[in-house]
Amino acid sequence: MILRADALARQVDYHGQTLTILHQASLSVAAGESVAIVGASGSGKSTLLAILAGLDPASSGEVWLDGQALSALDEDGRALLRRDRVGFVFQNFQLMPQFTALENVMLPLELAGRSDARAAASAMLQRVGLGHRLDHYPRHLSGGEQQRVALARAFVVRPTLLFADEPTGNLDPATGRQVIELLFQLNAEAGTALVLVTHDTALASRCAAVYRLNDGRLQREAT
Amino acid sequence: MSRLSLQMGWRLLRRELRAGELTVLLLALLVAVTAMSSVAFFSDRIEQALTRQASQLLAADLVSNGNRPPPDAWRRHAAQRGLQQAESATFPSMVFAREQAVLATLKAVTAGYPLRGEVQLRTPRGVQEGRLAPAPGELWADTRLLQKLGLRLGDSVRLGNVSLRLSAELLREPDGAMDLYNFIPRALFNHADLAATGLVQDGSRVRYRLMVAGDAASVAGYRQWLAPRLDQRTRLEDVEEARPEVRSALERARRFLGLTALLSVLLSAAAVALAVRRYLARHWQSVAVMRALGQTGGEVALVWGSLFLWLALVAGVLGTVAGYGVQAGLLRLAQQWLGSGLPAPALAAWLSGPLSALILLAGFALPPLLALRRIPALAVLRADMPTSGRSLPAPLLAVLALLGLAAWQVGDGTLALWLLGGLAGFLLAVGLLAWGVVRLLRRVPLSGAVGWRHGAANLARRPWLAVIQIAALSVSLMALLTLTVVRDDLIGAWQKSLPADAPDSFLINLQAPQQATLDTLFARVGRSAPQAAPMTRARLLSINERAVKGSDYADERAQRLAEREFNLSWRAAPPPGNGFAAGKWWPAGSTQPAFSVEQGLAETLGIRMGDVLAFDIAGKRWQAPVTSLRKVAWDSFQPNFFVIAPQGWMGGESASYITSYRAPDKDFNNRLVAALPNVTVIDISVIVREVKAVIGRLALAVETMFSLALAAGVLVLWAALAATRDERQFDVALLRALGASRQQVRAVILAELAWLGGLTGLLAGIGAMAIGSLVAVQLFNLPLAPNLWLPLLGALCGGAVVGLAGWPLLRKITRTPPTDILRNS
Repeated sequence: MILRADALARQVDYHGQTLTILHQASLSVAAGESVAIVGASGSGKSTLLAILAGLDPASSGEVWLDGQALSALDEDGRALLRRDRVGFVFQNFQLMPQFTALENVMLPLELAGRSDARAAASAMLQRVGLGHRLDHYPRHLSGGEQQRVALARAFVVRPTLLFADEPTGNLDPATGRQVIELLFQLNAEAGTALVLVTHDTALASRCAAVYRLNDGRLQREAT
Repeated sequence: MSRLSLQMGWRLLRRELRAGELTVLLLALLVAVTAMSSVAFFSDRIEQALTRQASQLLAADLVSNGNRPPPDAWRRHAAQRGLQQAESATFPSMVFAREQAVLATLKAVTAGYPLRGEVQLRTPRGVQEGRLAPAPGELWADTRLLQKLGLRLGDSVRLGNVSLRLSAELLREPDGAMDLYNFIPRALFNHADLAATGLVQDGSRVRYRLMVAGDAASVAGYRQWLAPRLDQRTRLEDVEEARPEVRSALERARRFLGLTALLSVLLSAAAVALAVRRYLARHWQSVAVMRALGQTGGEVALVWGSLFLWLALVAGVLGTVAGYGVQAGLLRLAQQWLGSGLPAPALAAWLSGPLSALILLAGFALPPLLALRRIPALAVLRADMPTSGRSLPAPLLAVLALLGLAAWQVGDGTLALWLLGGLAGFLLAVGLLAWGVVRLLRRVPLSGAVGWRHGAANLARRPWLAVIQIAALSVSLMALLTLTVVRDDLIGAWQKSLPADAPDSFLINLQAPQQATLDTLFARVGRSAPQAAPMTRARLLSINERAVKGSDYADERAQRLAEREFNLSWRAAPPPGNGFAAGKWWPAGSTQPAFSVEQGLAETLGIRMGDVLAFDIAGKRWQAPVTSLRKVAWDSFQPNFFVIAPQGWMGGESASYITSYRAPDKDFNNRLVAALPNVTVIDISVIVREVKAVIGRLALAVETMFSLALAAGVLVLWAALAATRDERQFDVALLRALGASRQQVRAVILAELAWLGGLTGLLAGIGAMAIGSLVAVQLFNLPLAPNLWLPLLGALCGGAVVGLAGWPLLRKITRTPPTDILRNS
C-alpha cells in the first residue's frame, strides 16, 4: 500500500465547543491505483486531503505514506516525505507568479537539491506540450496552460503518489477534459498512485475506486 | 463631524492599534512629526534668540571698529552729544598659569562696558548678571580657558608683563558669545591694565572698538558726524548689521536641517501612502458591510475620517514630544555658539507637529477615504475591491500637501518648490538606478542555492515596490556613510598630504631685537632657529596711478582685498619654496623700488607685470613696479606673503615678525612664551583638533536628522513588506506543500532581504564614494583615492539595516502552515 489511513478524525475547538469535521475515516491506495474522493462543498474534502498529504495533522487515527507513519514525523520530516514522494495539483494552479514556467517546474527539483533541475524541468514541459513557452510567466499563460505547467511540476519529481484537488474546477469543460486526459496519461506513464478530490461524479468514475465524503463520514462506493 | 462618528472613530482607533493594523502608519506619522517639529523648535528658538540679542550682540547702539585706537576727538564728540561710551581692545595672545601657556582671545574693556546687554558671571558668591566689567588687576576667563589651564577662582594669571587675579568665570558676554568659529578661549580684563601688559606693539593684531549708546536721535547724529571721518581701516557697526556672518551661518544650518527634515517627511509620506492603501484594502469589506447595514456613504467616510483624525492627533502629540527632545539635543551641540538660556519656543512651533500629521494624512489618506463613500452595499457579495472612479485627483492632493509642508518649513514657496523638486529628482535618479539593477537581477542567470534565485525573483516580482524601498533607504544611508566614513577619509587624506616635518607652530608678534632670544632658545635644544620674516600692514592705494576701490570689483574676495589691509613683507633672497610665474627676483642687496606679487592676488585684483603699485604703510606712501609674479604653496605651513619688497629698499620700516617651526619638544612653546611674553604662539595641532571637534559636532547634528530619515526609510520598508504579506504567505504555504524544509523557507526570505539590503547599501556606498571624491577635488583640491571599501561597507550596512528591520516582520510568515494552500483554492 502506498497510502493507508486508519480511523482518521479531526476536531476543532470553537469557542469552547468541539466541532468534529472528520469521523473515523479509513482508506487505502495501492501503488499505481487511482482513487477519487467525492462530496459536496463543506463535506470535509479539503480537510481529509490535507491530513492524507501530511499538510495538517489528524486529531486521532494514523496515516501511513509509503510505509511511514506520519504521526511519527515532525513538520520538516513530513515536508521531506512530500518532497520525495508526493506531487500536488490544485484547483487554482498555484504557480509562483514571479517565476517563469520553467522555473516553476524546476522548483521541487531545486528544493531536492537536484543539479539537473533545468534539463529535467525543460524535458517535462516538452512532454506536456509547452516546450515553446518555457520563459513565459504564469500571467501570460491561459488557464489550461497554467494547469499543464502545474502537472509538469507535479510529475517532474516522479512522485509515487499524486494529490489532485479539483484540478478542472477553474477550467472550461473542453480545456478541463484535455487536462484530465493529460493527467491520466502522465499517471499511467509514471505508475503514480492518484488521489483525486472532485465533486464531478463523471470524472470520479474514471478512477478505480470512489469514496464519498458525507458530513465528515467517508464511505467507499460500490464500483 | 458628529459626536457619534468621533466616538466610533476613537473606538476603531484603539482596536486597530491593539490589533497592529495601524502600527506602520502611526510610526510613519511619528517620524514625520518628529522631524518637522524638531526643526521648527530649533529654528524658532534660534530666530528668537537672534532677534532678542540683536542689540546685545554689539553691547552698544553704535560701534566704530578699527585697528587703531579711536582718536580723542571721537570720544569728545560723543561726550558732547551726551552719549554713554565704553571701549574695548581685542587681540589674540598667550595666557600663562601653572607653567602653561594657552592661546586666548583677550578683551580689555573700560568701565561702563557693556552699554547694552548683560554679562553673566560665576563668582564665589554665585552667578551674577548685569552691566559688569572687571576691575583693574582682575581677569575673567571663560570655561574653556579655566579647563585648559586647570584654573580655579582666585588663581593668578599672567598676561605679558602683568599678573592678574582670576576673579570670575565668564559665562556670557554680549558681544562675544556668537562667533561661529570661536573655539579659542576668551578672557576679559580691565583696559587700564592693557598698556602694562606690553602685549600691544607695532603690527599687533588688535581690534579697537569705541562703543556708544543713547537715545536714537543722538546716536543717529553721532553716526552722521562720524561717518565721513572714518578711514579705510575703520568701519561702523550698528544693530542692523550685527554679526551678519553668524546670522547667515545659522540660516544655512537651519535650511540644511530643514532639508533633511523634508527628506524624512517625503520618505514618511511614501510609507503613509503604502500603509493607508494596505489598510483600506484590508477594510473595504467592513465598509461594504456597514453600507449593507444601511449606513450612508458619507457616514462611513466620517467614521474612518475621524479614525484618521484621532490618529493624526496621537501622532502629533507624541511626535512633538519626541521632536522637542531631538531639538534639545541639537541645541546642546550648538550651545557653544548660542550660549545658554534660550527663549522658549513660540506657540507656532508647538503646532507644527500636529499640523504636519494632519496635512500628511489629508494629502495621502483623504482621496482613498473619499473613495470609500462610493463602495456600494452590493460589494459584500464580491471578492475583489471595487475600483470606483476617484473623487479627487489623488496625486495632485499629495503633491499639494508636500509642497505646503515644504513651503512652511523653509518659509518660501519658490524655494520649497526647488527643494522638493531637487529632492524628488534625486530620489527619482536613485530609483531609476535601482530599477535598472532590479531588472538586471532578473535577467542574470543565477545558479546555486534555491534561496538566492528565489529571493532575487521575489524582489523583481514587484519592481516598483523594490525601487521605492531601495530609493528610500539608500538616500539616507548614503548621507550617513558620507558623514562618517568619507569625512574621516577626507581629514585623513588632508593630514597625509602634509609632510611629516611640516611646521606645527606659528609665532607672531615677534619684535626685531627678539630674534636673538629665539636663536638662544633653539640653540639650547641643538637646533638652528628659523629666520623670522618682517610683516607689516599695507593697503593698496593705486594700480598705475588709478585709485583702487572695492566697488570696482565684482568679485567679493577682490572687494575685500581692495578695501582692507593685508600683510606685506620684505626680503633680500627669494622665499624658499616659492616659484616664479613671471619675471625674476631682484639681485641680493638691491635698493631699487620693486614689488613681487603673489600670482593669485594679481589675478584677483587685475595686476600685471610692470604695473606700478602704490601702498599705504602706516601713513607713508610706497610706490614701485611689479617685477615678478610668485607661485606660493599656501598649505606649506610657512609664512607666505601676497606682496614682498626688497630688503634694501623698505628694510628700515618698523614691523613685527612672523615665523613657523616644528616644536622640538612638547614643552618648547611654553618655554618660548615664558621667555618672550609678548609673542603669540599658534599651535596648529591644537587648532586642527578644535576644528575637528567643531566639524564633529556639526556632523553629529546633521547625522541626527539623517537618522530620522533612515528611520523613515525603514518605515517605507515595513510598509512595503506589510503590503506584500499576503502574497508571501501564499508563497511559503506553496513551498511547504512542495516539500521545502523550514530552513529552505527561511533561506528564501532572508535571501530577498539580503538582496534588498545589499543593493540598497551598494548604491549608497557608491554614492558616498562619488560624493567624497567630488568634495575632495572640488572643495579641498585633494586627490582622494576612492575608498573601494565603501560599496562593500555600504552593502554590509544595508544588509544589516534591512535584515534587522525586516526579519522580525517576516519571521512569522515562515511559520505559515502548508495547509493554507488548500484554503486559498
